[in-house]
Amino acid sequence: MTSTETTPVCETPVQTGDVLLSIENLHARVEGKEILRGVSLRIRAGEIHALMGRNGSGKSTLSKVIAGHPAYTVTAGAIHYRDQDLLALSPEDRARAGVFLGFQYPVEIPGVSNLEFLRVSCNARRQHRGQEELDTFAFEDHVRDTMAIVQMDPAFLERSVNEGFSGGEKKRNEVLQMALLEPLVAILDETDSGLDIDALRIVANGVKTLALPTTATLLITHYQRLLDAITPDFVHVMAEGRILRTGDKDLAMALEQRGYDWIDGADGADTPQP
Amino acid sequence: MSNASQSRSWLEALLQVLAQRSGQPASQWAAQWAGARDWRWPTRRSEAWRFTDLRCLTQLDPARLHNRTAAPPWPDGLSQGSSRHVALQLDGHGHWRAPQGEPPSWPHGLMPLPTEDVTPGQVAHTVIPSGTLPLGAQLNGVTPGPSLGLQVSGPDPVHLALAIQAEQAQAWLAPRVLLVLQPDARLCLSWHVAATAQAAVLPMVEARLAPGAQLEEAAVAQGCPGATFLGSSFVRQSPRSVYRRANVTWGWGLSRDEPFIRQSQGQAETHLHGLAVARGQSLVDTHSTVYFDGPAGQLRQRHQALADDQGHSVFNGRVVVPRAAQQTDASQLSRNLLLSTKARIDTKPQLEIVADDVQCTHGATVSCLQDDELFYLQSRGIGREQASRLLQRGFCEEILQRLPRAALAWSSLQRLLEIPVPDQP
Repeated sequence: MTSTETTPVCETPVQTGDVLLSIENLHARVEGKEILRGVSLRIRAGEIHALMGRNGSGKSTLSKVIAGHPAYTVTAGAIHYRDQDLLALSPEDRARAGVFLGFQYPVEIPGVSNLEFLRVSCNARRQHRGQEELDTFAFEDHVRDTMAIVQMDPAFLERSVNEGFSGGEKKRNEVLQMALLEPLVAILDETDSGLDIDALRIVANGVKTLALPTTATLLITHYQRLLDAITPDFVHVMAEGRILRTGDKDLAMALEQRGYDWIDGADGADTPQP
Repeated sequence: MSNASQSRSWLEALLQVLAQRSGQPASQWAAQWAGARDWRWPTRRSEAWRFTDLRCLTQLDPARLHNRTAAPPWPDGLSQGSSRHVALQLDGHGHWRAPQGEPPSWPHGLMPLPTEDVTPGQVAHTVIPSGTLPLGAQLNGVTPGPSLGLQVSGPDPVHLALAIQAEQAQAWLAPRVLLVLQPDARLCLSWHVAATAQAAVLPMVEARLAPGAQLEEAAVAQGCPGATFLGSSFVRQSPRSVYRRANVTWGWGLSRDEPFIRQSQGQAETHLHGLAVARGQSLVDTHSTVYFDGPAGQLRQRHQALADDQGHSVFNGRVVVPRAAQQTDASQLSRNLLLSTKARIDTKPQLEIVADDVQCTHGATVSCLQDDELFYLQSRGIGREQASRLLQRGFCEEILQRLPRAALAWSSLQRLLEIPVPDQP
């Protein structure tokens, strides 16, 4: 996959209810092992989806396949993003087009200034949307304003990307990136892991603030506590590379009380698919 | 004709030309250089030169060599002198001049040494064993020309910026600088060496640090294909002295940098930070040696190299800790980034430790760009090519952050670090 677009485009406006992401019968493998075995999911503007499931059920794999991680090979199925074949795009083109992945383990990059990284990223997305790029000064004002969303200390701008950040600071930095890139589809892979109560509240509030009627959010999580702060419209449970069951927030509460064994034994055929 | 005999012929021709240019009676030069004809020209059969090919140097034509220099592109503000700062550039006669051409105006705390006190090699011979002068220093020594000798005194830091610019083919520049730091004196020395044509630059620096003295040296050396850099420096440290060296080298057809440091009684601090960037067909070689002659000396050394295209980086870090150097605390790290299948990295820590109560660590890593780092940047809309350059810049920054702001102001360094605008979507 290579960068395919050559000229800036203005993003066509999104209406609440528009299908933003459509996944059909997706199969994917990594290192010769099939992880995704027929995932189907449709996400519309204005919706918040939660994706739950045991470790190894394929949640993170799904998020990486959507973002275009080169280690994963799609063997069957399709992903459409606003009627575009997402799988034909390079990872950077997916990001520029408005697909964002918040990493479970944000990568530390020594020597690369966080401020510079954020500015280059933000401008790449702005350029795609036909917006003017921000120069160093304008961007610094913009990023300092945006940092308020996650109550992040501006001192982190001067440091290398994620280097020496605590777990909570890394997750705040992820949400800050999400705020700056203004994605249409945000996938947050266990953004709540490793957070203390206060950090969880701050990050959850940030995500809620950024969830608009014209955007969609997919939260990958193990815990009800994130869903107490952000009420999902749909909750999906993955097992063995498939979505086994879909429900509303009550499904997450039931899982919290009864565990995944309950799902294994239940018939999910009557659950509503979005 | 074999390579060895070709090199021998080239050296003979070089010595003849340099003798003619010395302007001194032939018999005097013949006596002085008699030893030079007995040099063992380095060959790749010797361990120290195993990876280093000198053809880039011997492709220079001795008959056409000259010592013409050009005006360096001084960054704004750096060329202006002040009460604590002096900027000098090498002229075509081997003298150091202020950028406007006039003789230097010495700031308080910096004083030229009398000519008779500036004997080339006087510190070198106290730092390394006799008969082991490196090639760069030997060639420097046989090149006629003046030496700059300076005495530094007083605890307030003095700033000395030296620039060498070679723009004409066949330039042969061999400046010599001797620095004598009095007790507790502080000197910030900044070098900028640039060659934009097939030329050779062979600087030799000698520094003697009295107790409590501090020397901070920053060197930026940018060459071009066909240009050769043979740098040698000799630093003798007294107890409580601090020597910090940060250098960046790139672009040369051949670069061989050989710093030698001797902590004469231990109890001193040495910090060496080097960055070598080998792209194209560049060969960038660093051979460093640190001797600890007394107890409780400290060394912090970090050498980073980036090799791309058919570039070749060589690092040999020798640390000598004899029995007298108990409680030495030395660490050495060589980090290398290999970006092409045809690029090459040769790195070797060489710790010679006899003392038994010491803490000496070393490490060497060679890696390519990490896929996870690349993907992380790509997932934020940054194209793969630009992500790669960002990561390379990040790798370099770990050393560059050691350079003083003044050294970073040189436009050549800015170009090395240039981050391109985002890929055109």
